[in-house]
Amino acid sequence: MGVFVFLPIVLPLTAWPIARLAEQHLHPRTATKLLTGVAAVMALCSTVCLALVMVVGTAQLPGNPLPDGWSDPEVRAAVPYDEVVGKAAIPALCLVVVACGRTLWRHRRVRRRAHRALAGLPGTGVAVLPDEVPYAYALPGGRQGRVVVTTAMLDCLEPAERRALFAHERAHLTARHHRFLLTVQLAARANPFLRPLRTAVAYAAERWADEEAARVVGSRRTVAGAIGKAALVTRGGPPAALAGFAAPGPVPRRVAALLGPAPQARRWPSLFTSAGLAAWGAAAGTAVSAMASANSAVTMVLILRAATPL
Amino acid sequence: MERGPGVADHRQRPRRRGQGELEVLVLSALREADGPATAGWVQERLGGDLAYTTVITILTRLLAKGAVTRERAGRSFAWTPASDEAGLAAHRMRKVLDAESDREAVLASFVTGLGPDDERLLRELLGHSGSEGED
Repeated sequence: MGVFVFLPIVLPLTAWPIARLAEQHLHPRTATKLLTGVAAVMALCSTVCLALVMVVGTAQLPGNPLPDGWSDPEVRAAVPYDEVVGKAAIPALCLVVVACGRTLWRHRRVRRRAHRALAGLPGTGVAVLPDEVPYAYALPGGRQGRVVVTTAMLDCLEPAERRALFAHERAHLTARHHRFLLTVQLAARANPFLRPLRTAVAYAAERWADEEAARVVGSRRTVAGAIGKAALVTRGGPPAALAGFAAPGPVPRRVAALLGPAPQARRWPSLFTSAGLAAWGAAAGTAVSAMASANSAVTMVLILRAATPL
Repeated sequence: MERGPGVADHRQRPRRRGQGELEVLVLSALREADGPATAGWVQERLGGDLAYTTVITILTRLLAKGAVTRERAGRSFAWTPASDEAGLAAHRMRKVLDAESDREAVLASFVTGLGPDDERLLRELLGHSGSEGED
């Protein structure tokens, strides 16, 4: 097992290049799915390893659940026994569990409250609220989800742009983007190294919905105009997370992408481009991460079985 | 077994139906009235389903949300609806959104806020595409 047990905790770093490059080189649909999958596997592996390190490290603590045979020098030699790291893993794992639990709980709460706020309105797919604050979003849940939009938002858009907005939000609901977003959010809680993936998936999902809206409306420029106008009237809103570093925020990038050519829906990029290298790097990192944690878990189980006189 | 109207009934109903639904119920009853109505009238209109105190509580909550207004009429209040069901929903939705600072993570909203340079960049992009479209 050796130091391999620590690999999955740092391997998410291999996904950083693809998180950056996916935006420019992959179709948003591919990028969303790929990055979410990578994030989920890596988060799972890093949590498993954290648990293993904790169990091994705390083997000497009184009242631990491990058998007496554990103190055997042979067993100790087979696993990276380190009391300090092991003890540090306890609060780390607790933190992960609490953070993920909180995220899930908040997700459910917001959805429940939003649905409750709409009680009394006819159960159509679109809820138009008379409000002078412009906003629009997709509310998942229920039979088909709902698009919530305020009159202030609709007032600033042309009819074609309104269709673009509805198509965009409907695309979020049809493709169940909230599941991707929740997955990467949980992954980022489990391992902070996965945070860039969360930002990248959030952006890719928006781009995916933009492209879908452009297909439905039949005009990329209309969708770009709708996003631009909506963003300019909602100026007061908080800037998207981590977008403030000189680099343009997500909205101008989305508009620029829509004003450019449509992305190609290639299945997998060639190895000989930078995006290809990054994608393969992320895939390799994920595979090694999965193997290392699976290997550690298997070793752990074998040792436990050997050490237990049952 | 039918339970008579009492304390247990009064306590159970709001939980079973939820505050939001009760507010909608009371507001739509009030909107059916010709002019200002009393809490007793609303209670009767709802078929005596709710306790009088519950109706008063709900009306007071609606008042705080700006969905109804009231004026003194003798010893009690006369209530008038100030907004419709959609207005009430809008008010409640704003409260939900204001309470969640990190709601972007939960609800995929159409646009996120703009950074310091984003507005200029956006106007450039749109202006560019607009002038192209006119050609």
